[in-house]
Amino acid sequence: MDVVRFYSNIIKRNMDKPEKINKLINFGLTTAYYYVSIFKDKRGPNSLHYLTKYCIKSIKDSLENPQNSAWVNIFSPCEFLIALDIKPLFIEAYSSFMSGFFIEDYLIDTAESRGIANTLCSYHKTFIGANELKILKKPEFMLTTSSICDANVPTFRYLSKKQNVPLYIIDVPYKYSKEAVAYVKNQLIEMVENLEEVFKRKLDLDKLREVVKIENKTRTLINKYLNYLKEKTLLVPMTFEMYMLFASHIFIGSKEMLKFYEMLLDDIKNAPPRSGKSIFFVHLLPIFEKNFQDYFNFSNKFHIAGSDLNFDYLDEIDEKDPFRGIAEKLILNTFNGEMERKVTRIRELIEKIKPDGIIQFCHLGCKQSIGGTFIIKDLATKMGIPFLYLDGDCVDKRNNQVGQNRTRLEAFLEML
Amino acid sequence: MVGYVCKYTPVEIIEAFGEKPVRIESGCKSYERAEALLHTNTCSFVKGVLENIIENNIEEVILTSCCDSIKRLYDVLKERLKFIYILDLPRKKDTFAVDVFYKEIIKFIDAYKAFKNKGFAIENFLKILEDKSSFRKMQEPSESIAILGARLKDDVVEKIKNSCSVNIINFTCTGEDRIFNIESEDNLLKGYAASLLNLTPCMRMAEDRSKFFNKDFKGIIYNTIKFCDYYSYEYAEMKSQFNIPFLKIETDYTDSNSGQILTRIAAFFEATDIKKMEQKKAKKGYFAGIDSGSTSTNVVIIDENKNIISYSIIPTGPKALESAFKAFEIALNNAGIKEKDITSIVATGYGRVSIPFADKMVTEITCHGKGAFFIDNRVRTVIDIGGQDSKVIRLDESGNVIDFVMNDKCSAGTGRFLEVMSRTLGISINEMAKVHAEVKENITITSMCTVFAESEVISLIAQNKDQRDIIHALNKSVASKAVSLVDRIGRKGKYMMTGGVAKNQGVVSAIESKLGEKLVIPAEPQIIGALGAALIAFEGTNG
Repeated sequence: MDVVRFYSNIIKRNMDKPEKINKLINFGLTTAYYYVSIFKDKRGPNSLHYLTKYCIKSIKDSLENPQNSAWVNIFSPCEFLIALDIKPLFIEAYSSFMSGFFIEDYLIDTAESRGIANTLCSYHKTFIGANELKILKKPEFMLTTSSICDANVPTFRYLSKKQNVPLYIIDVPYKYSKEAVAYVKNQLIEMVENLEEVFKRKLDLDKLREVVKIENKTRTLINKYLNYLKEKTLLVPMTFEMYMLFASHIFIGSKEMLKFYEMLLDDIKNAPPRSGKSIFFVHLLPIFEKNFQDYFNFSNKFHIAGSDLNFDYLDEIDEKDPFRGIAEKLILNTFNGEMERKVTRIRELIEKIKPDGIIQFCHLGCKQSIGGTFIIKDLATKMGIPFLYLDGDCVDKRNNQVGQNRTRLEAFLEML
Repeated sequence: MVGYVCKYTPVEIIEAFGEKPVRIESGCKSYERAEALLHTNTCSFVKGVLENIIENNIEEVILTSCCDSIKRLYDVLKERLKFIYILDLPRKKDTFAVDVFYKEIIKFIDAYKAFKNKGFAIENFLKILEDKSSFRKMQEPSESIAILGARLKDDVVEKIKNSCSVNIINFTCTGEDRIFNIESEDNLLKGYAASLLNLTPCMRMAEDRSKFFNKDFKGIIYNTIKFCDYYSYEYAEMKSQFNIPFLKIETDYTDSNSGQILTRIAAFFEATDIKKMEQKKAKKGYFAGIDSGSTSTNVVIIDENKNIISYSIIPTGPKALESAFKAFEIALNNAGIKEKDITSIVATGYGRVSIPFADKMVTEITCHGKGAFFIDNRVRTVIDIGGQDSKVIRLDESGNVIDFVMNDKCSAGTGRFLEVMSRTLGISINEMAKVHAEVKENITITSMCTVFAESEVISLIAQNKDQRDIIHALNKSVASKAVSLVDRIGRKGKYMMTGGVAKNQGVVSAIESKLGEKLVIPAEPQIIGALGAALIAFEGTNG
């Protein structure tokens, strides 16, 4: 019998015992951590191995140390948390892991039965479900941005009220202006004051500058890595691109993620020249969708040429005034503001990477991404690159129409 | 004419330009043109707005960055209209936020000046603000029903107002009173920006709304819109907090679903005594209830001692009225009586409005509650799964309806779902109801949607799965939908299951295993609504 299924059945049978589930999930993560540490997947590069370990460990650490942890969304400016030595738990990643454990359906049904909309993004529903069932230990703080995803503010407000934990909402304006920068900078200052009060420690500004310095160095490596994607290919699974969100977002600025990108750069330099077809993904990759797993994981024939979500900010941050610099980064994220910004970035990436096709997997419930599908399609048409959009769900496997998707995906790949 | 959507839009600025601001509504028959530009799964409200912009040839539009879907609407419209502007609307209201919004308003004024090639007179603007702020309406919460949640269409609000005698306060985006702080004339526009940010916050704002609504209303109607998820959080928080009547409705902003909503609202008023049922003097004789459902039309006739003397069940044809006549005639024949012997008739079900010979119309929710309690007074929860909708009704110790939920506008988990699947499997609906023993493989149908579930069944057939196992999986799927409805109002036994699907043993046992309790199944589960209607006919004349 499939070990993961066996494990998920045990969890599902004990859902009325939150303490036990909490322990079972921590046990699952610990086992996964030791498993990937001992049995390195030889099909993938060293950087994949390093990153996989890091991601599992980071989730495990924040769950095991709730007294030193903050729940955040993927766009939260975690540089402050890194500088204050606070462990972030990013809710989208937690939900993804729960889907990996095959218990997302139970958590989603729980959230929906409490009244949460069934059309809400399943990353959020899964986390809310886990919170409703009390299998998550209360963190000390919550932090969210308003940008890019509508669900952030209401989800975090709901969680913070339920857990009675302080929340800071960073409202990121849609347009860039000097007033907008001042507005965000002021909020970042306020947020740090709140963090200092809750965690009873002071932010060392030099430490923050150091984090930003590492972040800038990391981005230089990301830009270098991008330049290799046109000629070289790494054989990786889809999870790699998604794990990379830990490195390009939440933990950017940490020494470990700098090391990851150093390793990645080495790996790609030594990788064989590109062969087969290369597919660029818009937004998310459906790591649990069977067809995609079959076609893309460690495939010689069809490669993953990256996702724009990992390249949503490629500039330097002002090291002298990190509050201002980070405020600018939040506003100027290519997923924030007019679609034109995102289109421009995708165009730049396409020109650099020269993929053979573009796929947008329309994650059910993600309004910001779904709403722009036809605009990306127009861009692809203008650039003369085949484009496919498929509907489904990156977390709730019940929403993936495997049979239908297979025909469409295969037809598209045949087209290339 | 300048079209707008959001209540935070500076409409007074548009007026000061001498232009007419028009709030774009979203009601439409289909999304044909909108779906050519926006993905099908985009919020139905936004698709409706786009459809209306195209339909009415609106050339000037001002939007705010209020939600992801509106932002994408802007992106789609950007190159298609003569003038379009999106205002960056902050979620907070501190001085920095006011600065951002104030500068945005100035930029909008400049853009509109340039487009229209005309000036902006601050005196006109001041006069408009003064006029608007001169009258304020105060309404007493304890005497009112509050409409909260996502924006509700004006016509539905009007219909709600007309269907009851109490005061209705609309707190959704369509009902805001605009009151401005114009004390500081030296910087009128900045004060105006601050006043706009100080309107009662909608759910996208950072501020906690609970302090605005923790009031002593007579009842709350809570609206949500399909694909607009903001308000479901507040609903989830609020529903358990209040001891006052609380009704959730879900609209998708098409014209077609206002009938279903009004049924729910009418049932809510009936259940909460907000609209008292008129009672007539006692009369003797026979009493009939007609349940004109989407799939079957059922009639029950009772005598003055509440004995069921006959009933009929026929499929509802294309004309509800003809089926009602026919079913009524059959029931009269079975009872051996004539129409003149009937003292009073109550109609219920979707088609209740089209039965002219009925004396009264009552919603099927009240009727099912009534009928179920009459059959077994230990029943506290009625699970009714009919042809096209399913509902769960909560009863108190006296048999009054105190809460209920209905399925969304989708056939998942209804009789229709099973009907489609029986066709896919190539067996009759009766055969499907029979097979329920011996499960070899515990298959799970993952798709909730009928259409997708159908393709899933087709692939199971292709994989040569045992038909009985597929049927078992389908029954489980209907059961899980029903139990999730039960969970929305909380579990409380005893449970009775009514409606045609109650005849399906497989579904019944799947629900029983999920609830961990035996269901009460009436001898003829399809006539419970009609029975309730007949009982109401009796009580209306004898009570």
